[in-house]
Amino acid sequence: MEVKTPITQALQDGVLSRQELKALMRRSDLPALRHLAGWLVLLGVTGFLVHATLGSIWLWPAMFLHGIVVVHHFSLQHECCHYTVFRTRWLNDLFGTLCGLIVAIPHQYFRYEHCDHHTHTQLKGHDPELIELPMSVWKYLWYITAIPYWRSNLGGMITRAFGRISDADKVFLPKETWQTVIGEARAYLAVYAAILALSVATGSAAALWYWIVPSLLAQPVMRAIRMTEHVGRPNVADMRENTRTNMTNGLVRFLCWNMNYHAEHHYAASVPYHALPRLHEKLKGYVHVEAGGYIGAHREILRQLTGRQPRADLRSGAAE
Amino acid sequence: MTDAPARRQKVWHDLVAVADLEKGDVTPVSLGARELAVYDGLDGITVSHARCTHGAANLCDGYFDGRRIECPLHQGLFDARTGAVLAAPARLPLRMIEARVERGMVQVLI
Repeated sequence: MEVKTPITQALQDGVLSRQELKALMRRSDLPALRHLAGWLVLLGVTGFLVHATLGSIWLWPAMFLHGIVVVHHFSLQHECCHYTVFRTRWLNDLFGTLCGLIVAIPHQYFRYEHCDHHTHTQLKGHDPELIELPMSVWKYLWYITAIPYWRSNLGGMITRAFGRISDADKVFLPKETWQTVIGEARAYLAVYAAILALSVATGSAAALWYWIVPSLLAQPVMRAIRMTEHVGRPNVADMRENTRTNMTNGLVRFLCWNMNYHAEHHYAASVPYHALPRLHEKLKGYVHVEAGGYIGAHREILRQLTGRQPRADLRSGAAE
Repeated sequence: MTDAPARRQKVWHDLVAVADLEKGDVTPVSLGARELAVYDGLDGITVSHARCTHGAANLCDGYFDGRRIECPLHQGLFDARTGAVLAAPARLPLRMIEARVERGMVQVLI
C-alpha cells in the first residue's frame, strides 16, 4: 500500500525539490531559544499589567491581554509535538509538557491525537481534532465561548485519570499507550492539586489572576484562531483544499509560532516553524491562502452559516 | 516424494553509487518493486526498507540526523543503524537490509 504524505505529493507535483525540502527541514536550537527569550519578555510585560491593575477595573482587560499570551502556549506545545522547535529532541518533550500543563492539554495524549489529525485531516469520523462547520451562528458563538472545549478537554483528562479510555480515544490510542496517557492525566491533575494546595496554604491568589482567569478569558481567542485552520474548508483528503493559511501581522505570527501558515505546516510537518514563511513562498498558488487573515476566514465561515455561500461540508466529493 | 524447495541463496546486488547519495542524508532508491532508504550516516552507510512501520509514510522524506531517522508524517523515530524503535507512535522495528560498499557502489544482500 502506498501512503502518500503531503510532502510526497508536493515533491511529485514538482512544487519543491528534495534539496529545497531538506534545506527547509534543517533544525537548530537557536531560533527557538531566541523566540523563547522574547516570549518571556512578552509574558513579563502582560503579567506586569495584571499586577499593576490588581484591585482596579482595568484588571479585566489586563488579564484578557495576558491570557492571549498564556493560551498561545498551545502553539509552542503543538510545534513541540512535531519535534521541530528544538534540534535537541528532549527539549521538545520538556517544553511540550510544560506548555501542556499551562493549557491543560496532556502532551503525550495530544501527540497521539494529533498524529491522526495529520493522517486524516478534515475527514469526518476519522480526524479526532475536526471542528465541524457549525449549523448556525448560535452554534458558532457557542463553540467560541470555549465551554464545549473545556468540557471535553478537562472531562477527558478526568476520565483518563480514573483509568478509563473512551471509545473515541481508542481509535487513535494503541492499547500499549493506555497506561501512559492514564498516568499522564493523573500526573497533570496531581500538579494542579499541588498548585491548589500551595495556593491555599500560602493564601496566594496568583494562580487565579495570572493563569486561570486569564486562560478562561482568552481561550475564546484561541478557539476562534483554531477554527480558521480548517473550518469552512471542504471535508476532503486533498491538502490543497482542506486547510487554510491565514496571512497576519508579525506580532500574531510571533504569538502563534508561525502556525498561521497552517497549510504549509500540513504539507510538511517536519519543517520547523521558523522555516514556514520560506515554505509559504515555495507553495504559493499550491495551497489555500486567506489573504484577509483570521478576520477573512471568519467572514467566509459566517457567509457559509448564513447561506450567502455554499457550505463547504456539503460540497460534492466531501468525504464522510 | 518431493524435496522442499531450496531456500533461495541471498546475493549481493548493486544498489546505488556512493557518489549519488545525498551527502549526510537519506536517499530513496528502488530495487525492483522494493522501496529502500539508504542512509549516509555518521557511522557509515546503512539500508532499510523505506516505509515507516507505523503509518507507511516514506522515511526518505523524513529528518535524518546522522544516526536516527524521523518519520515525516508522525515523527516516530528509528535508529537508522539497527532499525530499533526509539520513539512513539512507531512500535515495530524498521527492517534493515545488510549492506556494504564495494568499488564505490552500495550493495545490498537480498
